[in-house]
Amino acid sequence: MLRKRRPLQSKSEVVLRSIVVTFLVVYMLIFLIIPVIIAFAGSFHIWNPLNGTYKWTGLDNYIRMFQYPTFWLSMKNTVVFCAVVVFFRVLLGLALAYAITSRLIRHKTFFRTIFYMPTVTPLVAVAYVWKIMYNPQFGLVNNLFGFDINWLFSSDFALPAVMVMTIWKDFGYAVILFMSGLMSIPSDYYEASNIDGANAWQTFKYITLPLLKPTMVFVVITSLISYLQAYVPVMVMTKGGPGTSTFLSSYLVYDQAFVKYNFGYASAIAFFILIFTAVLTVFSFKLTGENS
Amino acid sequence: MKKQTLRAALYIVLAVVGIITVLPFVWMILSSFKTNEEISALHQTLLPQNFTLENYTSLQSNFNFLQYFGNSVMIAVIVTVLVVYISCLCGFVLSKYEFKGKNLIFGFVMMTMMIPWSVTIISRYTMFMKSGLLDSYLSLILPVMVSGFGIFMMKQDISSMPDELLEAARIDGANEFRIFHQIVLPMSKNSISAIAIFQFLWVWEDYLWPYLMIDSDKKQLLAVGLTMFNGRYSTDYGGLFAATVISIVPVIIVYTIFQKRFVAGVAAGSVKG
Amino acid sequence: MLRKTMAMLVIISVIALTCACGKSETTAYKGETDTNPDKGLPVMGENVTYDPNHLINDGKPVELEWWLWDAPDLFGSIAEEFEKIHPNVTIHVVNNPWDGFWTKLPLALQKGTDGPTLFNVHNSYQHLLLTYMAPYDIDVKDLETDFFTAKSHEIDGKIYYVDFGIMTGAMYYNKEMWKAAGLTEEDIPATWEEFREVAKKLTVEEDGKLVQAGFNYNGDFENLMQGVPYQYGNTIFDESGKVPSLTQEGQLKAAQMFLDMYEKDHVGDKDFGTDAAQSFGQGQSAMVYKWGHFYGYMNTNYPQIEYGTFEVPAATKDPFAYDRYNGEATPGINKNAAPEQIEAAQDFIRFYLANTEKQKELCMNYSLFPANNTLREDTELQDNPAIQAVSAHIDNYIWPGPMPATLADNLKIACQDMMYNDTPIEKALKTAEDIVKVDLSNQEFVSSENLYHRYSEHK
Repeated sequence: MLRKRRPLQSKSEVVLRSIVVTFLVVYMLIFLIIPVIIAFAGSFHIWNPLNGTYKWTGLDNYIRMFQYPTFWLSMKNTVVFCAVVVFFRVLLGLALAYAITSRLIRHKTFFRTIFYMPTVTPLVAVAYVWKIMYNPQFGLVNNLFGFDINWLFSSDFALPAVMVMTIWKDFGYAVILFMSGLMSIPSDYYEASNIDGANAWQTFKYITLPLLKPTMVFVVITSLISYLQAYVPVMVMTKGGPGTSTFLSSYLVYDQAFVKYNFGYASAIAFFILIFTAVLTVFSFKLTGENS
Repeated sequence: MKKQTLRAALYIVLAVVGIITVLPFVWMILSSFKTNEEISALHQTLLPQNFTLENYTSLQSNFNFLQYFGNSVMIAVIVTVLVVYISCLCGFVLSKYEFKGKNLIFGFVMMTMMIPWSVTIISRYTMFMKSGLLDSYLSLILPVMVSGFGIFMMKQDISSMPDELLEAARIDGANEFRIFHQIVLPMSKNSISAIAIFQFLWVWEDYLWPYLMIDSDKKQLLAVGLTMFNGRYSTDYGGLFAATVISIVPVIIVYTIFQKRFVAGVAAGSVKG
Repeated sequence: MLRKTMAMLVIISVIALTCACGKSETTAYKGETDTNPDKGLPVMGENVTYDPNHLINDGKPVELEWWLWDAPDLFGSIAEEFEKIHPNVTIHVVNNPWDGFWTKLPLALQKGTDGPTLFNVHNSYQHLLLTYMAPYDIDVKDLETDFFTAKSHEIDGKIYYVDFGIMTGAMYYNKEMWKAAGLTEEDIPATWEEFREVAKKLTVEEDGKLVQAGFNYNGDFENLMQGVPYQYGNTIFDESGKVPSLTQEGQLKAAQMFLDMYEKDHVGDKDFGTDAAQSFGQGQSAMVYKWGHFYGYMNTNYPQIEYGTFEVPAATKDPFAYDRYNGEATPGINKNAAPEQIEAAQDFIRFYLANTEKQKELCMNYSLFPANNTLREDTELQDNPAIQAVSAHIDNYIWPGPMPATLADNLKIACQDMMYNDTPIEKALKTAEDIVKVDLSNQEFVSSENLYHRYSEHK
């Protein structure tokens, strides 16, 4: 970024800047850096802070992680989960936002509110509701659509079932984001394309989509970061089952830390996820050509 | 003619998605008036067969529902106000000032979003224990009052504010604190609304941290109380649904208060910049 | 608009804050002083005795917390009885949600005086708690004479908690369906072969579709797999008590048998509901394998179903052990608490252990076979169907020890893999075994199987 402002700085600016910078540095040190360092050190130990176990094991936790078949399965599941959920979040969000903002639709606030409702409901409660809805005998899903599927206990359907729930819960967020993106596109762009005789699809493809790129980047990146840490749906609905079919890597961290109390091992996995997230974030920024 | 069909098609699509979106809610609300036996009955009916209010009335007897509710509202409001203010302030400094190490600090702010909580929660607990802040509301407020998401959003928004406006105020002799409070804050209303909605929900549903921090029953939060319905051997679905129905009310209220500005706010934070 | 709302919210929060603070001030501690050591009360108990006629902390006020995760009224009533005898002692009963309890409790115990002095224990979390626990100040021999499972909780000659009752599995059957299938009391199966025949009779299909399962073990497979292999004489751990094996004859045979019941006998189906307990309550499964807590579950959720119980069938005539059991434990004492708190807690534990009346109430509440020998012949307890089913051979149930979660969890994964993911039995169990081995090698777990009175007969 280019230096835009004059180098001369007023006294109050220096004061304000110092306050904020000191605050952030101290805060980050206490609540981010120190805990992360402690956890990083812990990943080289057999570590259970609940009973005071802290024994050096070197790289054992990392070796064990790479040899653990469930770890690789959970990474694969996480990638599939993120890709599918983010894809549908973007697709549904964009399509519905486009429909709502269209001049043909009137009750914009009404639809917007409806679509946003799942997003403002606590995830744990939502997951329980869906768990019952997926029941093979009396669940709403089978009753309504005439399926005969044991959704959460099938290696083929369990992960997709969790993904559908997550998409339902979160697509409203994307609708709102894309709506605001669409509304901030100046109308003269459309008028110009109308004069050029472009049809609706061409207008969308050559005008709307490129102008929505910043929104797209924001949605994709915030979604990726949050889905790489998703574990609540799995914890409530399947506990990773059947077998290990729906293990997500963050659920693995949760399971190792708070069910099996292997904090060292859990930290090792968490650091792998952190690096993975960071790489993926940078990659998505690069891919979309944004550099901020 | 073509327009009419298109409009009808659009409405149908929106209606279908809308129904699918609302259906689980309707089911949950209606189920909160059913007994547990009926919730898991083989022959499901949408409307309760034996209408019961017991799930609601037992809330207060199961745990101190009203007290928890009040505590949760208070904490959520305090945290939301703090997060909004701190995000604005940090966003302002990080977007409008130039100084060494700015990008590094911003990088760390982004990191807060990426660190899994399960890694840091134990060391944070130890810190709070040693500082004697356990069982105090400060322990619930301190660790969440800086939000990476909030700062990111405010930075994007404020950086799109015209510099000329700030310069003009400076020439008029306003100091930076006044500029922030009287120009920047009022101009960021929209993003503030967006952050408020997100943040309120996050605080509202957070469970494990308040559970670990708060010991006294009088200070406990609603999200912790909700887990009472998930016992060692079985889950009391009726109770859980009733409690959830009541617990979403404040979130819905916050949403309706802020929603007018919400879309515009999200736009400012995510699109521009 | 926005500014007004914000201002309003701030005002609300300030009011709420003052309310909350105001309230907390009203509950000041009102401690009483006790001056009368001779209360003229009788001594309680058989070998572990409690003599109430003394002062605690020289009669000065003591305050302590007792943490639990269930039944605050019932446990609270024990505390109240104790407070009546010793008015200078105040025991605050704190009920916590089960979710997260075992993370919160050990952390709270680190706080010493400010943490709980007494806390209910579950033996599978012993490895988290033992470092904080003070041994009972009671003669170990007395404890072992009164409580028949106490020996299994002895650690280096000391006892930190005992069971007040034990829970194990039994078969529950729907009486109406039993009758409808033309079965009588005579048909109650003693062996698995007989059981499979009965299950077939109890199965109803309509147009090739299952409408009534003869036996439903959805969600219980892993529990069966932790107990039934003992019937073949296989223990889970080797002689050292440290190396687990999940791929012995007993485990393979048991797994094959249960899978066959679904796949060959078609007495049930993996997709016939997700939860056997629920299915039994809905009246579409004739038999389920459940642990004692099922009695309470049926009472609260499905009171109209009429059912009976019988002991879990055996693989041979006189099996090595019928099933595994698990204990519900008496509270532990935080050794980091203040001396007067510990004194009161030790005294309370003695009172608890000598109080057979309350132990009986607890056993009734959870449908537990009483661990206290004086309650063995209690008719009221024996009338409870869950207790009735296991009474005959209760000494032939084995306790594997304070098992960390990893064994049950990985066995569950293996069972689901076998049931739902078509993983071959041996492969699924071998995977579980490998993971459990690694997990346990990092912990100081030693199995208690060798304390079982027929241990020498194992294969």
